[in-house]
This record gives sequence, C-alpha cells and structure tokens, in this order.
Amino acid sequence: MSKNVNSTQFRTVDVDAYDEDNYEDDNREVESVGAAEVTERANQVRGLLNQLKSKEALKIALQNPPVGNKDASLKEQNYETVLSVLKSFKAADIDGAVSELDMTEVDVLMKYLYKGFTCSPDKAANLLQWHEKVVAKGGLGSIVRVMVDRKGI
Amino acid sequence: FVRWSPIVGRFAVGSGARLLSICYFDPEHNWWVSTHIKKPIRTTILCVDWHPSNHLIAVGSCDFKCRIFSAALKETNDKPETSGWMPKLSKFATPLAEFSTQGWVHSVKFSPSGERLAWVSHDASINIVHMDNHESVIRSLTPSLPLLTVVWASEESVVCGGHNNFPSLYNIIGGTSLSGGARLDVKEKKAGGGMSAMARFQQLDRTGDDSKGSSLDTTHQNCIVELRIMKASGATCSQFSSIGMDGKLVMWNLDALATSISGLKI
Repeated sequence: MSKNVNSTQFRTVDVDAYDEDNYEDDNREVESVGAAEVTERANQVRGLLNQLKSKEALKIALQNPPVGNKDASLKEQNYETVLSVLKSFKAADIDGAVSELDMTEVDVLMKYLYKGFTCSPDKAANLLQWHEKVVAKGGLGSIVRVMVDRKGI
Repeated sequence: FVRWSPIVGRFAVGSGARLLSICYFDPEHNWWVSTHIKKPIRTTILCVDWHPSNHLIAVGSCDFKCRIFSAALKETNDKPETSGWMPKLSKFATPLAEFSTQGWVHSVKFSPSGERLAWVSHDASINIVHMDNHESVIRSLTPSLPLLTVVWASEESVVCGGHNNFPSLYNIIGGTSLSGGARLDVKEKKAGGGMSAMARFQQLDRTGDDSKGSSLDTTHQNCIVELRIMKASGATCSQFSSIGMDGKLVMWNLDALATSISGLKI
C-alpha cells in the first residue's frame, strides 16, 4: 500500500478563520447594565423582601437584566437576586404575582427560570411551579423567546 | 425566494448565496440581466417583498435583520420618487433602513399603500414600522409558537399564520400598538359521540390506546407555510388562502368570518 502523507497537520487548520465571507455574530456590547445598578437593585429587593412586599420585589428584580454583559459575576449576582425573590413566594401567591407582570417582564422571568433549571436543579420543584403559571400567561411564545435569545441573561 | 415586482417588468431573487438579485429584461440582448445587492447582507435571505411603487425592496434574512433597499434601476428608466422610506433619491442597492429582531425573519410585507412594513420573526413576534418614523417599531410578542407568514388584510390589520396552525388577525390601534390576535379558525365542536366497537378495538390494536384519536382542533393539522390574498376590494382583503405542511390548501372568507366572530374588525 502506498505510504500516507507524513504530516496530517492540515486537518487541524481552522478553515473558517480564513474565509473572508464568514458571518460574525453582532458582538456589539449593548449598553449593558453596570455593576452599581445590579448591586443597588439587589439591596432594594432585599429591603422589600424584608418588608414582605414580594410582588414589588419581583417587579424590580426583573427590570433591566444585564443582557450580553461580558462580566459573568454580574449576571450571577442578578440571578441570585431573582432567585431569592422567587423563593420567598408561597405557592398560592404565584398566580397573583404573574398576572401583574407585563409581557417583557414575563419573558425575562422565563429566561431566569430556564437558567435556574440548568444552574440550580435542586430548586427545580419551586421553579416548575413558577414555570406552569408563567406559561399560562406568556404562552409557548415566551419559551420560544428564551430558546432564541443569543445573548445570555 | 423569488418575487415578481408589482408593476411587472422585473423580479427579485433572494437566496443562500447571501445576495439579492434584481433581474430585468434587456431587449437588446434578448436576455434577462441581473444586478446584485450584496454589501450589507451577510446571511441567507429568507423573504423578499417589493414596495408597490416598484422602487424599493424589503429583505428579511437569517442575521435577524429586516432591511430595505432602493431598487431603482437606471437601465430601465426608473423614476423613483422620494417618500418616507427614501428621503432623498438614492442609487440602486443603497440600504435605506435596517431593523433588528431576535430571530430569523420569516416573512416581510409592505402594506397595500406601501406606507408600513410588517415582518414576523422566529422569536414569536410581529413587528410593524411606519415609513415616517423608523425608530418606533410596533412590536407584539405573541403567546404562541413562531409565525411564518404575514399578509396585510387592510391598511390597518395583518393576518399571520405559522407554527400555531391557525391564521390570526391583528389590528393596529392608534398607530402605536397591536391588538391581540383574533383566532380566525373557529373551533367547531365535533358532533357525534363514541367510536364504534370495531374502531375501538382496531385502535387498541394499533396504538395500544383506545382514546379518541389524535387530530388537532385546528383546520390545519400542521404549521401554516404561506398566506396569500385571493380577493381584495381595493386595499381590504376579503378572501385569503393558506397552505400548510399538512398538505392542505384552505380558503378563508374574511368577510364571513368578520360577521361570525364578534368583535372582529378588519
């Protein structure tokens, strides 16, 4: 049998890097939320939870998520804030809280729920209760929007 | 994706080659010549729509954007007029506007007068923009699965269909918002009770389950791929047809539906 070419290094070359027409995702950083705003929001939410004003806390926690921000710890912080609010609700109150949200907030909440399913599977039971109510409000469209979203929340 | 222009004479082709070709007939060479719009488009073009005036073309593509280009060709003696979309006369292939969404743009359509542009995208939203104000896009997040196609039923309302298997009608209210989609597919209660004993056993044999059957309660059993206007009186559509992945071609009579579904306004 003929001898194979000595070097197979060519197989490791990344062809896409040399393609001029290669599509690059829009990597512009959208005016993302700064660290100060996230911490301030966390404090506000904690305050409201202490006063047992869960519904207001939920609304504030869902404002202006740090979408597409390069800083992962910032996203983690915001995520913890939202999670703390979700935990504080009793099962019966979830319905009322979800009905007060508008469509954008419903979408943001859905994104956090799915993040919760992946990051904290131990809390899945609580998250599933929320999921059921949010789908009743936002419909399958809100789930589609979570899947389609390229910039992580 | 190929579309003839409204005032016949040319057609546009959008494809995975990431460019839009506008083709016109050249009598000298007895040949259809094509000119390309390539510059800002970097992904597959999913849908194309001509403006009623023949001079503008809207393109929806896989990079989540919907763009409008000037399609006025010198070779065919086009005399474009300025309008809200094209504030000053621009050469061929000038990008005039660009709108973004969060998903592939499945279908884009100009309104009958050309003043508004509507598009649906894979993030389950319907977007409408008026030519005078490019900044304010009316965006309606739908609670159903993504829509694949949209047509204008009149100057102020759109009918859309898609993965949700039924066409729905949306009205523009006050120029700033869209009202909730009225479902045009009225569920009819299937009369007649149980299955015959034989059918029951047959089904038990086949599927291991003797419950009713698995057809959806919408007219289309699978997603709607395209909607087309069949009959229109002026700018208002009275009948439209839909085709679906289930192989059905359904004709809908909008006027009859308007009277039977209360509160439906075209």
